[in-house]
Amino acid sequence: MAVMTGSEAPPISLTGARKYRGDLTRTRIRWVIVGLVLIFAVVGGRLVQLGMVVTDTSIEGQSREAITASRPAILDRNGLEMAVDIRVPSLFAEPRRIIDVDDAVEKLRTVLPDLDPKWLRNKLSGDKGFVWIKRELTPEIEDRIYQLGIPGLDFLTESKRFYPGGPEASHVLGSVNVDNQGIGGIEEHIDKDGLALLQSVGIANGQNLKPVHLTIDMRVQHVMREKLLDALTRYKAKAAAAVMIDVKTGEVIGLVSLPDFDPNNPSSMIAPYDGEPRMRFNRITAGKYELGSTFKTITIAGALDSGAVKMTDRFDARFGVRFGRFTITDFHGQNRILSVPEVYKYSSNVGAIHIMQQWGKDNFRAFMTKVGFDDPLPIELPEKTTSYIPKKFADVTAATASFGHGISITPLHMAAAMAAFVNNGVYEPPTLYARSPEEVVALGKRFISPQTSLEIRELMRLNALEGSGTVMDRQAQGYRVGGKTGTAEKVVNGRYSASKDFNVFASAFPMDDPKYAMVVIIDEPHREGPTTGDTAGWNAGKTTGMIVAGVAPMLGIAPNFDKALDDEMVPAAIR
Amino acid sequence: MIRKLNIFLMLTSAVAFVAVYGLKYSVEEIAKSKTMLERQIEHQKGQLSLLEADWSYLNQPGYIQPIVERHADALNLAPITQAQFGSLEDLPMRPVAPDTAAMTQLFKSLESGVDPADKPIGGK
Repeated sequence: MAVMTGSEAPPISLTGARKYRGDLTRTRIRWVIVGLVLIFAVVGGRLVQLGMVVTDTSIEGQSREAITASRPAILDRNGLEMAVDIRVPSLFAEPRRIIDVDDAVEKLRTVLPDLDPKWLRNKLSGDKGFVWIKRELTPEIEDRIYQLGIPGLDFLTESKRFYPGGPEASHVLGSVNVDNQGIGGIEEHIDKDGLALLQSVGIANGQNLKPVHLTIDMRVQHVMREKLLDALTRYKAKAAAAVMIDVKTGEVIGLVSLPDFDPNNPSSMIAPYDGEPRMRFNRITAGKYELGSTFKTITIAGALDSGAVKMTDRFDARFGVRFGRFTITDFHGQNRILSVPEVYKYSSNVGAIHIMQQWGKDNFRAFMTKVGFDDPLPIELPEKTTSYIPKKFADVTAATASFGHGISITPLHMAAAMAAFVNNGVYEPPTLYARSPEEVVALGKRFISPQTSLEIRELMRLNALEGSGTVMDRQAQGYRVGGKTGTAEKVVNGRYSASKDFNVFASAFPMDDPKYAMVVIIDEPHREGPTTGDTAGWNAGKTTGMIVAGVAPMLGIAPNFDKALDDEMVPAAIR
Repeated sequence: MIRKLNIFLMLTSAVAFVAVYGLKYSVEEIAKSKTMLERQIEHQKGQLSLLEADWSYLNQPGYIQPIVERHADALNLAPITQAQFGSLEDLPMRPVAPDTAAMTQLFKSLESGVDPADKPIGGK
């Protein structure tokens, strides 16, 4: 206790021991709180940081989804698979999770003995997050590796495209590259149609992809390819191709172009054929040719439809037609006055020119636009080419065009036009996707009148019975095929070559109620034997007949040998 | 009062601890079997896709034709020709009355061990 004094001293304030301790505790608590807040801030910060980390799931620059993404199956019109995805396991390792590298190498080599141990050790050691060990294994191998129980090894299911038909429908299907992207054919079309987008966002897997139904009939496709392969060897030809269209719907039933490739091995697409590069393209849609006398069908159809020319009209084919220095003559010269059916039957160039001239060259040019020869084809395949037809016809070009020279179109253009001519004159754009009856009605476009269609059918059947189609008709007896040959000389070094031909046969069957139209082309054929010719009737025509005889029973067309049927189809008046 | 509450809370946390412990392990167990099942499904899907590919390969006309040609002689197979097609009109109409004579002849022939059905139509 302080001693009391007389003077007034300022009061001494003393902090009691209890209060002092209390203050100290409060300060300590404050420090502890600060400490705790700091610790939690660090923990929280770390959590946020961990949350922000984007783990790199890409595999060698590709997203995991892109590797496992699949493609829809492609089916033919009967549901037979033309392209399927197989799911194959691929082995990868995460080296940073591997504990004992030597042990892993040793164990792995018991299942995959062909792996180089040094290479494997290099791959497995280190701090990488992902390395491929071996891709596209079988499920059996996958099982055995799994049983080894090595940590840090895992499997990823990859999709691999498989074409069970091999080269059978190569030009229709196209192929895919290692990244599962379509290169060429309908595969490329599917990608452009939106599959590529689905794949990139990673939702393209087996469950949500509907199969793609094509209009191709694999049986027809097979028969066509067989017969064309046979034709290649029999006529020692450079190339051959054929396309068949359902005339009522425009659906493509078969499309073969030889030489072809194996879609299972995409590099075969660009492999040279017979020492020549760039031979394996699709000649039906991506090749344009002078289709020769088959073009007379177009000329006559247009002329008859305009009314300027009648079936009974007669044309002087006694002399060639002169254009300046050139004189156009007939190959199978009859040298007399011919009626329209005779012009067609004897394939008279002179007659065709006169028919075209009576009709008018500008009308002729306009008709080509009408039948769609100017426009590219609406088919789904990306390999397409446009036609070569001069915008305006000079007298000479119009004359040569009337029998199919000096202008080039694709064989599919010709097939589509033929289909329209025999289908009561109604054109259906060719397609590879099935078409409903409503779509058929909506898309149908009239090319010629039903009456002209009937006359063209008469002419085509007449040509098979008495004209250049007789070799073909002998092969396809009873199936009432009608058609027109075309033998065009090929242009070699800017001049027409007398020895190199390009042969075509455009046909439709059965002529009493046409269902299918077909165009067969054979490039540079040779004589089959000493007794046969080398014009289109002997090779392209014969091949057509063989194909029809092979496919007609599959397509539900029964042969009919009733002579009355032919008499009705080809009235005596035009014979 | 507080004491009782404390005991109660302690007991609850002990129970909760055991429960969480059990739950953790059962979840791990379920997760494990889920991965196993997923692997199995993946595996079977892979095999299914292989089998489907096999099946479609074996069904390709291009695969079947060489086999048919190889065994054509043994099985007496040939491509169908146009002459082999018939139509409904070619079939005879049903007879008005049963042909008893022909029936008797048929039964007799069957009894003697000759089945006319073994012979091709037309008797060639």
